[in-house]
Amino acid sequence: MNNTQTGKYAAGFGISLAVTTLLNAVILVVKELNGSVMGAMKSALGHHWTTHGVLVILVFVVLGFIFSGMKFEDKLDSGKLLRYIVWAVIISVIIIAGFFLPNLKVASAIKY
Amino acid sequence: MLNQEFMMLHVLFGILGILFAVALFVDVLNANEDNYKRIKKLSVAVTILIVLAFMIGGYWYVVYYGADRDIIKAGQWPWAHNYFMEVKEHLFFALLLLSIYLPIAVHGLMPLDEQKKKNLILGISALIVLLGLFMEGAGGIISKGVTMGLGR
Repeated sequence: MNNTQTGKYAAGFGISLAVTTLLNAVILVVKELNGSVMGAMKSALGHHWTTHGVLVILVFVVLGFIFSGMKFEDKLDSGKLLRYIVWAVIISVIIIAGFFLPNLKVASAIKY
Repeated sequence: MLNQEFMMLHVLFGILGILFAVALFVDVLNANEDNYKRIKKLSVAVTILIVLAFMIGGYWYVVYYGADRDIIKAGQWPWAHNYFMEVKEHLFFALLLLSIYLPIAVHGLMPLDEQKKKNLILGISALIVLLGLFMEGAGGIISKGVTMGLGR
């Protein structure tokens, strides 16, 4: 038994957090590049962002409970879990911030 | 008028969430049996504050933002919407999930008697603070984008 073992839900929801954070960025890219996905998300709950949010939260909760039942706490210590979460957030930030980078007109920003 | 009040509440709860995450970070650095209870309370407070900021900001975004977006896009800082709002509205989901996870991690890792356990909570808190600060900065730029669009 590892001293830095995580609890059942801390491990399960931690893995779910890493997966869902990446999924959030993937959903963004897919909906922005695919008009029919964007249209479906708009019509589902009235606004694509609302559908996106509900989807991400639902997946986080469902995966959290599924992973909590998979005994990740036996295989995963807190250090490894932190690394997964931090890398998931960094990759997600790079995807989201990078995807919209062509919209950032630095030249016009400098003017003001 | 309600438009402005919703916006102010969104910013207020966001800032309080960041400040509570900083307080939690410091408390975890000095974690011992005397402050375990406070660490648990702070983690729940961060969740409540960020969820409130998310719900109020989300409601404002869906109901009121359309008019502001048109002003920004027609103005001199269209990238305030095209970049900063687009990034902010999608990165907020990561901040929200981190905030919801925080008390789950804190309660699951108690007692915080190992450095690796503390590091996990410190890491989550630091990510909340960093993403939260980006949200505040981006919000300021978006707000200025409206002002520029109105020619003020």
